[in-house]
Amino acid sequence: MGGLNIAVIIKLEPDFSEGNVSYNPDGTLNRAETKNTLGPHSAIAAHAAFFGRVMYDAEISIGTMGPPIADLALQQAQQISDAEELCLYSDRLFAGADTLGTAEVLRVGIEKMQEKMDIVFSGHRASDGETGQTGPQTAWKLGFTFLGNVISYSVDLETRMVRAKRLISLQGFPSVIEEVEAPLPVFISIDPTYKSNYNTVSQRLAFQKYQKEATQRAENYKDYFKIFNAKELGVDETLVGLPGSPTIVYKVERVPKSTATRSAEVIDGSDPEQIRKVVSKMKEALAAMVIK
Amino acid sequence: MAEKYRHLYVVIEHEDGEFLPVSLEMVGEARRLMDSFNTKYSSNEKVVAVILGHNVQDLSKQLIEYGADAVVYADNPELKDVRNTIYTKVIGQIVQDTKSLGEIEPEYASDIKRPRYMFFAADSIGRHLSSTTLVELESGLASDINKLVIEDIEMSHQQKTGGTKETYAKTLEMYRPDFSGFLWTTILCLDNRNPAFKRDYHPQSCSIIPGVFEPLKRDSLREGKIIEFTPTIDPQDLKVKVLGREIIKSEVDFETPRTIVSFGRGIKDDPEQNIKLIENLAKELNAEIGVTLPMSKKPYQISQALDSKYMIPARVIGTSGHKTSAMLYVAAGVSGAMQHVMGMKDSGFVVGINPDEDAPIKNECDVFIKGRMEDVIPLLIEEIKKQIQIVEVQ
Repeated sequence: MGGLNIAVIIKLEPDFSEGNVSYNPDGTLNRAETKNTLGPHSAIAAHAAFFGRVMYDAEISIGTMGPPIADLALQQAQQISDAEELCLYSDRLFAGADTLGTAEVLRVGIEKMQEKMDIVFSGHRASDGETGQTGPQTAWKLGFTFLGNVISYSVDLETRMVRAKRLISLQGFPSVIEEVEAPLPVFISIDPTYKSNYNTVSQRLAFQKYQKEATQRAENYKDYFKIFNAKELGVDETLVGLPGSPTIVYKVERVPKSTATRSAEVIDGSDPEQIRKVVSKMKEALAAMVIK
Repeated sequence: MAEKYRHLYVVIEHEDGEFLPVSLEMVGEARRLMDSFNTKYSSNEKVVAVILGHNVQDLSKQLIEYGADAVVYADNPELKDVRNTIYTKVIGQIVQDTKSLGEIEPEYASDIKRPRYMFFAADSIGRHLSSTTLVELESGLASDINKLVIEDIEMSHQQKTGGTKETYAKTLEMYRPDFSGFLWTTILCLDNRNPAFKRDYHPQSCSIIPGVFEPLKRDSLREGKIIEFTPTIDPQDLKVKVLGREIIKSEVDFETPRTIVSFGRGIKDDPEQNIKLIENLAKELNAEIGVTLPMSKKPYQISQALDSKYMIPARVIGTSGHKTSAMLYVAAGVSGAMQHVMGMKDSGFVVGINPDEDAPIKNECDVFIKGRMEDVIPLLIEEIKKQIQIVEVQ
């Protein structure tokens, strides 16, 4: 029965929390003044990895592509997952990459980690880019089975099989939870509704033990931290960064203001008499529905 | 000159013998785009629908009636469930299959290497399937698109052209609304013509937001080619098994409730209290609660109970979430970014609550209550209590 090796790929993202996020007057994100942090979906992926640490004594590694300041995200993810290997892939050559060029760096990075990985986790999508493509694209490059929208998982270490529940929501159909089984290695992108459940006393004790360890490790995160440039990784420079990116952003424009589809009656919210009239209109709208 | 790339391929999704609406929406948009393409370029490139599954012959025929020129289908019991690895490989096989290309258009079949364009649905299946398929085909992908234009683009680009001016003919401009909903980003997928690292990047592909485009009317007189493709499935890939599927009732229900109360950044002065106010309003109206996309990014420090109940993607109304046609829609503290408006504009009676009369949401409202939600909602609740009681007594 072999051990379990888990990698997590994460991303440093704008911090959308109040007080840290800054918007331009036109409602767009002010990137220069917005702080950065571990992305919320990356954090959930780190929690899923920690579940493997607690349940299966897994060894955790974390990888990210980004600027040197992305070490902050690695430290935050280590605090969650108790990782013992933190890898930052950072090079000017990687800049401007689309998801295909990013996935290539992550593939090489994961293959270069200390151990051969059994499971790789990624978040659902980044909160700034929102494409959700980098995870599955990295999976395909690694040759791992890709399981998306995973809300829970378990591993049978003897048969080397993973079982996972996936949440599938399709337009016009009720949501479905699908249970799948796959041989390791697998690449799992974690659904936002993922939750780790620690049910037994021994699980909760292990949880506390590793959480304490994670805090200690994160305090000394530099001891676990490695940074790789393009040359150290040994990537093919034509497959990463701009040359390795099929897509470009051609233009960014303001979405034209939609022409008014309704002409609103503007009323004063502090006037109870006007509010009374609004409510009776709301009632009419609902009554029409009931009769129908 | 024969071209290496031709046709627009649309990857169809279906469940229980029915199309997902987005499938027919994509075929409709593909038909419109290729009709104007063929006129503009005096060409005859096709809309090719690709459908995988078990017992899909009847659906294949319908795709012609909804606007496809040709349908390539793979029918196999092992394709009944969507398994990403198998589906990715079979789609890869289909779009490069010389035999089916020969049936679609014999004169060019031997020259074609790849589709020119490819469409997928931006949903739980299509997002991932498009991602893996485009790695398999080593080309580019734009996600969550809501507008498409085909143009000849003249440009000089340091990386793509090595700085010289080039014309990229027949380029698909793929528009995607960004997370704020205020910006539209146009993505292009372009070959590298830079001599330093030449590379072909086709197909130009995207995933398309459900509910954006109109399907065509079904026309039983429309004719086209229906081609069966026999897939090669690697036995190793069959080790991934779907053990079961269970329909769940989502904790958030935007289908049945006739009223939705949604909130956005306007809660910011006191998020905890304001969400409670909104809960009370929703309770009085027997409404489901929706949020704008920025709320799902958890921007506020609030109690865990409210955070995990409301600040979640499942409650998002908009292009990145649900579309609703509620009978009554109350938007409290919502600015009205396009992202959100696309999800609620089909509602019946719309009430906005916002202190800023210039907020774009006003354009979508029947009644715009100018004021802070802290002041307005208590008055509304009080009034609803009076009036709704009357309804119930009757």
